[in-house]
Amino acid sequence: MMKLLKSSIFWLLILSLAVLTACTNSDSDTKDEETETPKPATSEGTGTEDEKVSIEFWHAMSGTGQESLDSIVKGFNDSQDKFEVVAEFQGTYEESLTKLRGVGGTKDAPAITQVFEVGTKYMIDSGYIEPIQSFIDKDNYDLSQLEENILNYYKVDGELYSMPFNSSTPVMVYNKDAFKEAGLDPEKAPETFSEVINAAAKLKKGEMYGFSMLTYGWFFEQLVATQGGLYVNEDNGRSGDATEALFNGPEGLNVFDFLDTMNKAGTFGNFGTNWDDIRAAFASGKVAMYMDSSAGVAGAITTAPFDVGVAYIPYADEVKRNGVVIGGASLWMSKGIAEKEQEAAWAFMKYLTTPEVQAQWHLDTGYFAINPKAYDEENVKEKWAEFPQYKVTVDQLQDTVPGLATQGALISVFPESRQQIVTALEDLYQGKDPKEVLDKAAEGTNRAMEIANKTKK
Amino acid sequence: MTLLEKPGIWKRTANGRTALLYLLPSILLFSVFVFYPMFRTIYLSFFLTDQNGDAAIWVGFENYSYLLESTAFINSMKATGLFVLYTVPIGIILALFFALLANEKLRGIGFFRTVYSSTMGISVAASSVIWLFMFNPSMGMFNRLLSLLNLPQIQWLLDPQWALLSVSISTIWMNIGFSFLILLGGLQNIDEHLYESSRIDGAGYFYRLRRITLPMLSPTLFFIITISLINAFQSFGQIDILTQGGPSASTNLIVYSIYREAFINYQFGTASAQAVTLFIIILIVTILQFKLGERRVHYQ
Repeated sequence: MMKLLKSSIFWLLILSLAVLTACTNSDSDTKDEETETPKPATSEGTGTEDEKVSIEFWHAMSGTGQESLDSIVKGFNDSQDKFEVVAEFQGTYEESLTKLRGVGGTKDAPAITQVFEVGTKYMIDSGYIEPIQSFIDKDNYDLSQLEENILNYYKVDGELYSMPFNSSTPVMVYNKDAFKEAGLDPEKAPETFSEVINAAAKLKKGEMYGFSMLTYGWFFEQLVATQGGLYVNEDNGRSGDATEALFNGPEGLNVFDFLDTMNKAGTFGNFGTNWDDIRAAFASGKVAMYMDSSAGVAGAITTAPFDVGVAYIPYADEVKRNGVVIGGASLWMSKGIAEKEQEAAWAFMKYLTTPEVQAQWHLDTGYFAINPKAYDEENVKEKWAEFPQYKVTVDQLQDTVPGLATQGALISVFPESRQQIVTALEDLYQGKDPKEVLDKAAEGTNRAMEIANKTKK
Repeated sequence: MTLLEKPGIWKRTANGRTALLYLLPSILLFSVFVFYPMFRTIYLSFFLTDQNGDAAIWVGFENYSYLLESTAFINSMKATGLFVLYTVPIGIILALFFALLANEKLRGIGFFRTVYSSTMGISVAASSVIWLFMFNPSMGMFNRLLSLLNLPQIQWLLDPQWALLSVSISTIWMNIGFSFLILLGGLQNIDEHLYESSRIDGAGYFYRLRRITLPMLSPTLFFIITISLINAFQSFGQIDILTQGGPSASTNLIVYSIYREAFINYQFGTASAQAVTLFIIILIVTILQFKLGERRVHYQ
């Protein structure tokens, strides 16, 4: 009995000690944990004569993306013997960003971190990172070999801060069989808002809705940008810190009216905020046209039991088409780590942009190749011959008119703003006034930007 | 005199000191996990925080006054109130009903006791995912059933009129296991002699239920009501998985709204203000409950 008591007190003490140290210094604790695994590799590496440099690469790719990425990293490690990259999955984009905030700017930070496109402004302001422009200049790296429309997004004030990696854009996916049945030309998808509205009316039949769009801010941003509309002031946040939302202007209102018209006519299907739900609805014939990411096209073609068409996203009748804004993520190099590690990171980034690697990445995942030469690779050509829909996504990106609108907005509070748009869309589908809900979202975004600007160091 | 008094104080506090020593482990744990975070939260609620989540600008009570004016937050409070109202009474009544059934001495009752309490064994996340599939608009079980019965389809999680109800239904299901187990334990503790003598006096089943079972069960009932209320106020997992606070913020309960504000918008200041508000609300409700409810509790 006494023994039991003593040992339990002992363990309790150990526990409280562990708890205390864990909580008082959570930052350093997580650092220890995260660096522990690669550290032996580093010391081992420095011990040998060839001085292999080992770096960490934090990413947010799961599923097929992770498999493909792991094989790319392995390819890099096998291709040379100076550097070794250790790829680590850190959860979703949001989760990995939160983890980075714990170690950012210290020598324990990962050499490379993958951050989603809307985190661009946050990363630049954070002071955690080394702009890769400095390596591009030092190395005389030829940027012109990369896709210009992708670079446009990530270039800020003419400087490239991060290396674009996985990039996607929205497209409109439609059911060709349903088009035939409704007497529409399956090879010619509707292009403008009014054409989509008319087609949706014809396609609505029984359980099948005409058109749908995931309730997600990204699609709204794209529909505004393709009309040439800006999201925020200060040239979309690119010439200074944005202070006012502009998405409730005429272009944004066009989008909301467009959705409202179909919703009121009963031809719009609302399938919520979950990507899988809307894709399942399309594949099971509950909606004839919907907006998806270019990275989802492959899945749509293979799961749907009917012919799938892919088209450019629609635009308002009275304007000309501007094109799409790039989405996805880019790779950031950490500041404050050893120079050798930065060199290793740079070597890996260069490897990633080679046509062969990009071709593999494009075929595995459906993301764009950031190096257009990848599209000339044999395996890509074969796949395109089989699935011409893939080519549409690339054409849409290359047809995009470069400009402030299609460059995409740069604000640090994007996640919050997107949430405001989601709520506005949901309110709209409940029959509220388009102008009113859009203004409310703009107001919420304005307040978020005001606080962000006030508290910026 | 003084010589006698000094050891007196030392001696008189001896019990208190021993008690403190015994309490030390829990005081340590509580200060680390409860008190420190709580004071930190109160501190942060008076600031706007910068990108790294550190206090940047002192704003006093501005975060609070903004909350009280914000329609979004008032909407959150309403949704939370409704959610509590939907889940707690129905959940407890159902659990009590099952517990009364399972308390009967029948052959194989052990099987039913296991089944009724089994939802306790499933994590909130896992069961939410199962409910998510059942609520699915295109392939969910509920809509299939409705279409078999030729009833109109319901957008369970997408229609603001239904979303909170749907989440409540799944929450009731999740919580029944725990309430059932506690109530059954309480029922088993009731002295068999009371029933025997009442039977001799010729009391019927419902008379016994009203006059013996419920009064004897009241301490357990009181406990489970308090715990369920607090749990309902703090529900998070099922919201995150089923609706993410949508549609039209109709299921944006306070805890979920705090999470959004802190970990998606990185506004720890306003998030802390919401957390403190929630703390005060739960505190008031619990105090009220003790004041009003405890009078009816019959301790043996």
